Amino acid sequence: MIRWLALRATLFLVFAFLLAPVCIVVIVSFNGGPILSFPPTSFTTQWYALIKPSFYSALYVSLIVATCTALLSVAFGLPAALALSRGRFFGRDALNAILLSPLVVPALVTGVALYQYSLSFWDLTHIALGGTLIGLIVGHLTFGVPFGIRAILAGHANFEPALEEAALNLGATPLQTFWRVTVPILRPSIVAGGIFAFVMSLDDVPIALFMGGGDATTLPVQIFTTVEFDFGGDVMAVAALIVGASAVLMLLLDRLIGLEQLFGARQ
Amino acid sequence: MSTTDLERLPRPDRPRRHADPWLWILLPTLAVFGLIFAAPLADLILLSFHHMAGPAQVDAAFTLANYRAFVTDPFYLEMLLRTCGLGMLVTLGCLVVGYPVAYFLARTPSRWRGFALFLVISPLLVSAIVRNIGWFPLLSQSGAVNWLLLKLGLIAAPLSLINNFTGVVIGLIHALLPFMILTLTTVIQRIEGDLEEAAANLGAGPLQAFWRVLLPLSLPGVVSGLLLVFAMAISAYTTPAILGGNRVLVMATYIAQQFRSVLNYPAGGTAAALLLLFAIVLTVLALQVRPAGERTP
Repeated sequence: MIRWLALRATLFLVFAFLLAPVCIVVIVSFNGGPILSFPPTSFTTQWYALIKPSFYSALYVSLIVATCTALLSVAFGLPAALALSRGRFFGRDALNAILLSPLVVPALVTGVALYQYSLSFWDLTHIALGGTLIGLIVGHLTFGVPFGIRAILAGHANFEPALEEAALNLGATPLQTFWRVTVPILRPSIVAGGIFAFVMSLDDVPIALFMGGGDATTLPVQIFTTVEFDFGGDVMAVAALIVGASAVLMLLLDRLIGLEQLFGARQ
Repeated sequence: MSTTDLERLPRPDRPRRHADPWLWILLPTLAVFGLIFAAPLADLILLSFHHMAGPAQVDAAFTLANYRAFVTDPFYLEMLLRTCGLGMLVTLGCLVVGYPVAYFLARTPSRWRGFALFLVISPLLVSAIVRNIGWFPLLSQSGAVNWLLLKLGLIAAPLSLINNFTGVVIGLIHALLPFMILTLTTVIQRIEGDLEEAAANLGAGPLQAFWRVLLPLSLPGVVSGLLLVFAMAISAYTTPAILGGNRVLVMATYIAQQFRSVLNYPAGGTAAALLLLFAIVLTVLALQVRPAGERTP
């Protein structure tokens, strides 16, 4: 009995620890007193009105980059996953490992490597990658494509090839079979891979920090660079809005796919 | 039938001479991979074999001096030690805090299990930058934790818990705890609960049952999880940068500093190449010790 009570108390403390930094952001964003002091002395909504326009334009950049990253990750991930699970060529397992390897590389290392590469690329071609939306998307594809491949590979493990054969026997062309049989069957894992790429793109700091800048600043990077210099209530308000949006997104995903299943695609 | 005839027979399981058409379908993704990932990494590794020739300039001559500095210069050795210490503290913290939760998730028949699992995963779905910022009103001098500790009379003066090494440790434990809990939950789930009951029936106390039955059986999975959390802890950049307040110099913050402000690209490239090496070695080790067929939930 005491053992169960101790376990319950421990669980409560751990969950409090896990949720504390997320919950406090929302509370503090309404604090009328000094933003970092606790407990709040008065209630205000002024911080929400004081959010600078740069945060809104950064949100816009983030959403465009994350959407393009998700779509392209799936577009490159689907053919690769099909080839890796159906092909019978030499070095298939090695290629599989190589294509998933970016997930092992620290994002910071990928970030500085791409930064350095974009400098060399500029010297060679006078095409700017760093500081552009294209550069950000390229940077996020380094992890987006592997996430896409992995999610679709996992979904393909239970694929029933007889369904495709049946479609072909019934007179469907290979292209029709692909769009009307293969893709619909794989849709849950394609969606999971795309959502993962989207979420990770919205979350990333190290790569966007080195590939972005100027007009191509994502929301997390805008928050990161703001906090480096000063810590105002408007940043807390932005953070609180992100918490709210994440909560809505989370409930939606849980309803639509199931969080446990979605995270199964991650590891 | 002679051996040459045998060789001419089709061998369906072996790779055929002409390229499999699937290889062509794989080609665009491989090309993208090479262009946006392999080439930049190779470029970065090459960079580490050169000297700096002024800010943001790289000398053409080949040198091993950057690597030599890493194993001889006390500055770098201290940084490596600090990075390693950070990784170990964070890993240990995650293990101690995460094990009870994982045990509960693996064993409970409670209807709250799903909700508890949701609570464990939910921080992962809130942007990392927001979670990092949340520590400021909690851990600063006038923040919630110091307020609570002062109220309870546990401390006489506020502790400095942020903008230093302590803050980074707390933030990283928080960031990596969900991964640790999910890994440990699968590991414990795979061990039959009957074994603990048997140990209890044979007279073992709960602690004894844990030390002599549960822990040895879960060890390979636990070690694999520890290695992965350690790798993520030493690779993380955002948390050490924000919660360390530019004062905690570990591999990751050093690399960013070299590329963002000092502009010594070869020095940053060398540290990045080493961090890459550590991450790869740790991941391969983690996969090696992991029991066959195990996947995290």
